Amino acid sequence: MRKTILIPTDFTVNSLNTLKTVLTNNSSDTSLDIILLHGLTLNDSIRELLFFSKMKQIDSLTNNEFEEAYEVLCNKFDSQINSFKIDLFTGYNQTAFNSYLKANKVETIFIANRKQKLSNRKSFDLSPFIRKSNVEVITLNTNTETLQQEKGKITEVFLNQVSIS
Amino acid sequence: MKKNSRIILLFLIPFLIVIFLFGIFIYATVSNYSEDYLFRLLEARANKVAKERFAGETNFSKEEPSDKLPHEKDFFIPINDKLDIISESKKVGVDELFFKDVIKKGQARFVTNEYLYKGIKYKSKKSDFIVITVAENYFEINQAENLIKTMLFAITAAFLLLLYIAVYYSKNIFKPISAITEKVKEISSENLHLRLSEDTAKDELYELTSTFNDMLDRIETSFETQNNFISNASHELRTPLTAIIGEADVVLAKPRQTEEYVEALKIILQEAEKLDNKTKALLFLAQTGFNGKVQKFEKVRIDQLIWDVKENLDTLNSKNKIHLDMELLPENPLKLKVNGNIQLLHLAFSNIISNACKYSDNHVTVSIGASDDYVYIIIKDKGIGIPENEIKYIYDPFFRASNTKNYEGYGIGLPLTRNIIRMHNGKILVTSIENQGTTVQITLPSIKTLS
Repeated sequence: MRKTILIPTDFTVNSLNTLKTVLTNNSSDTSLDIILLHGLTLNDSIRELLFFSKMKQIDSLTNNEFEEAYEVLCNKFDSQINSFKIDLFTGYNQTAFNSYLKANKVETIFIANRKQKLSNRKSFDLSPFIRKSNVEVITLNTNTETLQQEKGKITEVFLNQVSIS
Repeated sequence: MKKNSRIILLFLIPFLIVIFLFGIFIYATVSNYSEDYLFRLLEARANKVAKERFAGETNFSKEEPSDKLPHEKDFFIPINDKLDIISESKKVGVDELFFKDVIKKGQARFVTNEYLYKGIKYKSKKSDFIVITVAENYFEINQAENLIKTMLFAITAAFLLLLYIAVYYSKNIFKPISAITEKVKEISSENLHLRLSEDTAKDELYELTSTFNDMLDRIETSFETQNNFISNASHELRTPLTAIIGEADVVLAKPRQTEEYVEALKIILQEAEKLDNKTKALLFLAQTGFNGKVQKFEKVRIDQLIWDVKENLDTLNSKNKIHLDMELLPENPLKLKVNGNIQLLHLAFSNIISNACKYSDNHVTVSIGASDDYVYIIIKDKGIGIPENEIKYIYDPFFRASNTKNYEGYGIGLPLTRNIIRMHNGKILVTSIENQGTTVQITLPSIKTLS
């Protein structure tokens, strides 16, 4: 069985805990197509639109710790993951979001009840779109307290526990 | 000092050669140009005086004096059969060739130190004339000396300036090297933990210092390993010996029953066997290059290694509660393989984990995970932690945080571990909050598999 799921991300190691929970609770006979989605407003200037490259943009948003952390997760759940991609959503309205979901055949969206940390000033929170979308949305309870000392380090993904509600 | 003067010479000689060539070039160009200019003037003058003379424009000649070039003299020599070139040339003071040139080519130049001669052939109505204008060699007399003086002054000034720069450079260029030498002199077997300060600029000196530091890392590690090893080994050897001596003492204190002797001898035999095993193990270790001289690197599975460490620590202290968190263990075990020396890594991990046990009432979580390039080992305890302002000293040998007074230790475990991890091209990251716990994150590069 295959299933496409979508998880909003803000490119922090902590945000990967949602993914970790999803994968931990996934039954082993379902293989997942995972999309990590980040909302980003496109610039209006024609020059920037002309030279806009999604890959470069994602590269500039991610950091080494994040990449390493999701590689760790991918290695752990190798057999459950069918495909894995990080994507940017650059639309402005609900219709655009709905068609994005449709085009990517997203069946379930997992969202953490914790507030996203949007470091880039062009990023925006996807949760209003997600709540109004017409696919299944599952909210995960993350324990909000993160120890200050491990902030941003790959350790976060190892130690933090998230429960499914 | 010798090197200094050599560098100064190396600086100065090419510079002097260049600047002299430069000076000669400038002199030649300027003198050439000014001569050319004077000759053109002379030619114009010659034409003018000839016209004046043969056209008989008398008015013209009255205004003349102001127009004359300095020390100007004019000669008019008719070209006819009576022309005696030799005597004429003597009279004017030029070469014979000059006259021939004028007749043949229509014009000629002649230069002496004091005078410039310009001759042209002029056709008047009566016959042809050779008109020669002579003027002072203005440049040679008035300007050349000045130019040479100026240039010599400029060369001297530039030379002095460069001498200063060369001396400055020769002193400063070796400053970092002498700093390194000074620092290296400080380092001896007693303070092997000292390191050269590494510049951020990625130049040759940076490479030199970092190579030297790497070498120190290796040396220090092998030193510490040996120290650690010797103290551990002697402790290990002493335990059974103490048992044997104690048992023998007790039995010999008074006459005993046969059973008691048998019992005591059994115990002694047991302990002696232990001793024998340990000696054998020591010999084996010595043979396999644990002496710090040869470090064999081989493929090591990290999870297996951690299990071994846990088992080992559990036998040493049964109160340990080491929880191995395999939640993020990769499905492909090949990703857990690193290139390393088993004994050293074992030592490193048991140091960290036993530290964690020691300072946290024995509750320790060890998590293992792997990305495509690295293996991560995270050791977390909820113990006493490290005070924030002391965390930068934790890698100094024999440093112990202020809150560790009630715990035994020498303060060499962590520096040793760091050196071992460094030798494996890994990273170690210690984060801690006092009274909340410590997290150690160790990153080791995994072996790239070609699958």
